[in-house]
Amino acid sequence: MASVSVLNELRKTQILELLEQGKRVDGRALDEVRELSIEVNAIPKANGSARIRLGDTEVICGVKIQPDRPFPDTGDKGLFICTAELLPLSHPTVETGPPQPPVIELARVTDRGIRESHMIDVSQLVIEKDKSVIGVFADNVVVDYDGNLFDACSYAATMALLTSKTPKWNWTDEKPVIAEGEDTQLPIMTIPVSVTMAKIGSHIVVDPNGDEWACMDARVTITSDSDGNICALQKGGSDGFTLDEIVKCGETSVKIGAQIREKLKAAQQGGQ
Amino acid sequence: MADKRKYVIPGDVITTGPFRPEQNVILDGDKIISTTIGISEIYDDSVKVIPLTGMYIPKIDDLVIAKVNSHTSLSWELDINSCYVGFLPAQDVFGRDFSAHADELSSKLKTGDLVAARIANFDRTRDPLVTISDRDLGQIDSGELVEISPSKVPRLIGKRGTMIQMIEMATDAAITIGQNGWVVVSCESPEGLLKAKKAIKMVNEQAHIVNLTDQVKEMLELKGES
Amino acid sequence: MGGRDATMVLLDENGIRCDGRKIDEPRRIMIRAGGLKNADGSAYIEFGDNKILVGVFGPRDVHPKHMSNTDTGILRVRYHMEPFSVGERKNPAPSRREIEISKVIKEALEPAVMLEKFPRTAVDVFIEILQADGGTRCAALTAASVALADAGIPMRDMVAAIASGKVADTIILDVNNEEDQAGQADMPIGYMPSAEKITLLQLDGVLTPEEYKKCVQVGVDGCKLVYELQKKALNDKYFGKKGD
Repeated sequence: MASVSVLNELRKTQILELLEQGKRVDGRALDEVRELSIEVNAIPKANGSARIRLGDTEVICGVKIQPDRPFPDTGDKGLFICTAELLPLSHPTVETGPPQPPVIELARVTDRGIRESHMIDVSQLVIEKDKSVIGVFADNVVVDYDGNLFDACSYAATMALLTSKTPKWNWTDEKPVIAEGEDTQLPIMTIPVSVTMAKIGSHIVVDPNGDEWACMDARVTITSDSDGNICALQKGGSDGFTLDEIVKCGETSVKIGAQIREKLKAAQQGGQ
Repeated sequence: MADKRKYVIPGDVITTGPFRPEQNVILDGDKIISTTIGISEIYDDSVKVIPLTGMYIPKIDDLVIAKVNSHTSLSWELDINSCYVGFLPAQDVFGRDFSAHADELSSKLKTGDLVAARIANFDRTRDPLVTISDRDLGQIDSGELVEISPSKVPRLIGKRGTMIQMIEMATDAAITIGQNGWVVVSCESPEGLLKAKKAIKMVNEQAHIVNLTDQVKEMLELKGES
Repeated sequence: MGGRDATMVLLDENGIRCDGRKIDEPRRIMIRAGGLKNADGSAYIEFGDNKILVGVFGPRDVHPKHMSNTDTGILRVRYHMEPFSVGERKNPAPSRREIEISKVIKEALEPAVMLEKFPRTAVDVFIEILQADGGTRCAALTAASVALADAGIPMRDMVAAIASGKVADTIILDVNNEEDQAGQADMPIGYMPSAEKITLLQLDGVLTPEEYKKCVQVGVDGCKLVYELQKKALNDKYFGKKGD
């Protein structure tokens, strides 16, 4: 993500040597995800929020839901906008200023993972066709960095959206007015979960930590939905994958995605 | 002999009177004030505070573990885990007959390499001069780098080396501790390595508890845990 | 009874404020030292409904080099609000308000931080407002001071902060969001308890000279309360249960 500090040569050699034996530096199996901790409603004043810790990577996502103007060509659809920001306190190498390409990529990949899965049925978010719709903003901020921001942001945003509560608006006197009544859940159609895999030498590891991220040759982030279908994919890094590797990554992402999805659903129950 | 040790934070008045302010302490009027989180010690004619946190500030003769950041044709630049960067001149490694034309620095040490080094010279107006030309110094080619807070190094060493010896004997690991908080651990057995790392992490995180030595001993004696 | 907004009752006949507090009662405050893995020092504060995270790096190299100072280190502060921290979603780009608050907090910390010990370096303080509810700059300054101590940056003193103010012609301690919007005056104060120096002071509103004097005194007393919680946060992390 940020230009990572010089990973010492010894560490890189150790990572490769252990991989040759089918092991990783932190004792995980090659397809094992780090400890995932989920805190729902971390920001009570937002419409929805979640704080995710994936190993030592920490991301907070806050969801704001408010009336907005629709896009000119889609007056019958609400807005969904997802962003991601790398905060300077998350790592000594992060600089302030306009976002760099890796962070822009992070934001766009996180957005696409949720948008392409049609997690939120935006056609149910219309207040007055062509004039006023509901805008759902999911903003991710990375608070601590230890590799794999793609998955951490994906889980934080998904969790925050799953547990978001929105009021209803009525179109009255040419403007949106909050209606009486309890807040409700957003129209959720599916639960997208991304799984990122890194290629180091000829080995593929799931959920790379900071050290693995610094020495990987290529990576792929694959998002799947509740039906086990793959709905978004992004390959990154300067090396390439073989056809077999990419197909295997697809299968792994669906399998592990299903496990993560159960964790997210459990956290949703716990939080409600 | 130190008198009346007290926990202090920045701004705390340790004592008043005609004392000489030493490390991490300032004199304001006749008040001796701490400038850091730590433990204050009052001697006959001076007061100091042993810090419990803070970055590494080099001292002459300190043994440090360093990482090669880059080099020119005449010297290497070393990351010593401080805001000051270590300066290792080529002559230190190649000897007096060093020739910038003939001798290529990366043949001896390249970016990313770890070395055990000593601070040869330092004052705050320029970067510290580093040497690796003693027998116990030089490139580190095996072992794992563990990072602890530099202020915890004395605790990891222990009184007369008791803590570190206990860890080494219980795990069969060889541990080199840099004053800059970087520690290299090598061990034949992966279990011993993990246990040694765990013990070091424990000291780093729980340096303030009273019976730390017993707690670490207990953890090391647990069979089959990692 | 109120100020600019006549419909909100800010102080009732029993001297109770709109959120149930007495006039000299601060909101619930919780401070935690540490918590971030990569920052050199960090702190988290909850001040009423404010939730603020601070990370500190340094002393470290300054880039670009021309910004460094050969005689002394420099302090850089960035106060930043997350888009989800306020009622209506905020654009992530820095606003003029955030830039001004960053400067004011920097100048409140500079008298305390011993920058002259680290020429040619910078100490960076990154303040992230996760949830805002009136008085963020005071809560942020309070947490920043704890984060700097956590990083081991030498300081002459801590800096504690709180806002005093006026509603219904009465001087109050710790102005919340409603009181800030609808009250008569809001005075954020930052104070070094050992050195007894005020290093942050601003005022919005109108005060008579007597009210002004009282407001500052109430604010300084409030800062002393906040300081006790900063001490507790550092004690809890560094001295275990044995702290003074």
